[in-house]
Amino acid sequence: MEVAEVTNFLKQTIPFEQLGLAQLAGLAAHFNVYYCQAGEHLEINQERLLIVRTGIFALFSDQQQLLTKLEEGDFYGYQLLLTGLADNDRLICEEDGLVYWLPSDVFHQLRYQYKNIDIFFQRLFGRRLHQYKEQQSSRFTLKVADIVQARKVAISGEQDVQQAARLMSEKRVSSLLVEDDNRLIGILTDRDLRSRVLAAGLPTTTAIKEVMTPKPYTIEKHAYLFEAVQLMSRFNVHHLPVVDQGLSFSMITATDIIRSQQDHPVYLIGEIHRQSSLDGLEHCSLQISNLAQILGKQQVPAYEAGHIITTITDAFTQRLIKLAQQELGPAPCVFSWLSFGSQARMDQSINADQDNALLLEKEPVGDVANYFSQLADFVCQGLARCGIKLCPGNIMASNPELRMSLKGWSGKFSKWIAAPTPDAILKATIFFDMRVVEGSRGLFNALQQDILARTNNSLFLMHMAQTALQRTAPLSFLRNFILEHDGKQKKGLDLKKRGISLITDIVRVYALANGVLEVNTRSRLQQLATDGVLDSKDTQNLCDAFDVLAQLRWDKHLHDLDQGHDASNLLDPAVLSGLQRHQLKDSFAVINAAQSSLKHRFCKEV
Amino acid sequence: MLGWLKKKPPLYSAVQAFNQVGIPAANTPARECHYLALDLELTGLHAKQDHIVSIGWVPIRNQQICLSEAKHYLFRPPTSVGQSAIYHGVHDKDLKNASELADVLLQLLQDYAGYVFVAHHCRLDRAFLQIAYQRLFGKAPTMQFMDTLNIEWHRMQKQGTVMKKDALRLPQCLARHKLPVSAQHHALEDAYGCALLFLSQLKKSHPHITLGDLLVQSS
Repeated sequence: MEVAEVTNFLKQTIPFEQLGLAQLAGLAAHFNVYYCQAGEHLEINQERLLIVRTGIFALFSDQQQLLTKLEEGDFYGYQLLLTGLADNDRLICEEDGLVYWLPSDVFHQLRYQYKNIDIFFQRLFGRRLHQYKEQQSSRFTLKVADIVQARKVAISGEQDVQQAARLMSEKRVSSLLVEDDNRLIGILTDRDLRSRVLAAGLPTTTAIKEVMTPKPYTIEKHAYLFEAVQLMSRFNVHHLPVVDQGLSFSMITATDIIRSQQDHPVYLIGEIHRQSSLDGLEHCSLQISNLAQILGKQQVPAYEAGHIITTITDAFTQRLIKLAQQELGPAPCVFSWLSFGSQARMDQSINADQDNALLLEKEPVGDVANYFSQLADFVCQGLARCGIKLCPGNIMASNPELRMSLKGWSGKFSKWIAAPTPDAILKATIFFDMRVVEGSRGLFNALQQDILARTNNSLFLMHMAQTALQRTAPLSFLRNFILEHDGKQKKGLDLKKRGISLITDIVRVYALANGVLEVNTRSRLQQLATDGVLDSKDTQNLCDAFDVLAQLRWDKHLHDLDQGHDASNLLDPAVLSGLQRHQLKDSFAVINAAQSSLKHRFCKEV
Repeated sequence: MLGWLKKKPPLYSAVQAFNQVGIPAANTPARECHYLALDLELTGLHAKQDHIVSIGWVPIRNQQICLSEAKHYLFRPPTSVGQSAIYHGVHDKDLKNASELADVLLQLLQDYAGYVFVAHHCRLDRAFLQIAYQRLFGKAPTMQFMDTLNIEWHRMQKQGTVMKKDALRLPQCLARHKLPVSAQHHALEDAYGCALLFLSQLKKSHPHITLGDLLVQSS
């Protein structure tokens, strides 16, 4: 007979929530309930499913490595049940708790009866493999297949060198695979054409097979990248045909490898600055997602990746301003191109939109106004073509209201600060994270100092703090998940709105209250700790929480990219590992505590 | 399911058979014994004049609650459940599918001989059962009861905790042990809650505590 306490729990637990009450009661009737004490090792070698009802259980690999922590609603034992193979894991109770055991025959019957439940456990198992593999991977595990595209440019050995040269120019490659009957017989590089054909005075009709490098060294598609590097250095070659199951697949060059390394952003930035047309810039922007994926594979932490992505946006902006000036002529007065929000904070991700404005030395009237209007339009539209979307809120330099002199900007800010209204503050928060991207630094510094001299105003800070407190972190996200819809996608936890932004908002209030010049959230925190405004433990906690959330969002974006979707901030909580859930919960608790102290410090009656 | 009705042994002998099995020796490790956590809902507090409205139970073996044997039965008392319905939520209209008290009491004797009975504040439950057996079977079985309320009291005394009013009620005990608290005054839910509490108490006792020692704490 049904124990409501158990069925009610199942009703809220994925994947059982899809069953009817009668089925849930039937399922619960097979449970054995066991109470476990902290420190106890659970017996996990029997074929049965463990469902955590309360408490925390740490799972260790046979190498004593902490794999994950299981909490309410988590499972164990499905790997043995699905594969018949036992892991040499150890499951140790960390906090007293209750577990339910479900016998194997009932588990299998359930999978047989409900396809969705079967899929759920299969996926859980798949993810488990994936997670553990990920932990071991590092930047050294990048494979050849990760960086070369399936772009095979081949030619027959019977054709002549002129045809080869034409194909190379047409396909914009520096080398060709030479094939005979789909069999790789050699390679031909532009260097071969130079030294073995031109320098030797051979005619353009020379057959390729006479001048090619026969029997080249090759590399397997699934080989590690460092193996390719090793081959190249050992035999002093710069081109390696990539083969897949005996057939040629592509070519990997020394340049490909250099590009794939961490200095790739530098390479891309250099390339951006060499472009002389919008088309060229747009072409460069196509490499951003590729770069993001490489950064991801190399486990570059989210905050560094954010920094790199922002630097690239900066480079596009700077180059576009140069291109605009080539067309429009030199600027009629000194100006600063400002960025706001995430670009200013240097924590952009790949789904950021534009937030920019112009600060001018002179009042924008007549020709001056006209010039900057055209410049701003050119740059903003250009950025949009490079994948940095137009700002839906029209916070862009192309908006005439955001092209002002120092006096104009100073007036705008002092209005917000001296007579804050909640509505105005809500719209204005984004402007208080500001950085100069191009143009005069001196002009910008004058504005920033002017603003920071005013912001230590308790009424203004109270309004800023209240705005920062409007949204809260979903502390009880495991059970009563607060899920949001974004229209296009399924619901999920909004990592930005319900996490990252909350921290950014809190830190901004402290920074403005204390005249901190830094704009980056981590740098602001460091400065606040150095100045003794925040205690170092709180700072560290906030910084850690920020990193956890930023990392989750970055990983989510990379995953979206990999799947060919637009990067979204919405995370399905079901895909989190126990450890990630744990970290997420801790992060939310940190935000909650930081919001309380913010309230305490700034929201007293004035 | 009612097959046993056909070859129904005389009720009196069922009590004797139950008593013959008896409970394990006092020096048996408490963690190895079998238990049956149970709870009764009643029309009142006086065993001689009030009646049993419902009974719920779950067995514990190898320190595991076996939900497959969780049971909940409603009975039709000779008089209306009347005002007591506000506590246990069993109204006269619910009693259409009521069981026969004698059948259920017999099942208890046949299936759970050798078990130690566990209840939270067991005095009332024990008294009502004894009287019901006496009336229906002509003899009351020797049922050994373990009282989770007393064990809790003992534990808290030992820890020197100052007990607030209501601290020993089942929901408060469950909360203290960080166990899920379910709806109250439902015989099966309360029996399950009592079983959870007992599992926790058993774990928090000395690993080798004997049944005899635990019974001392429970008295």
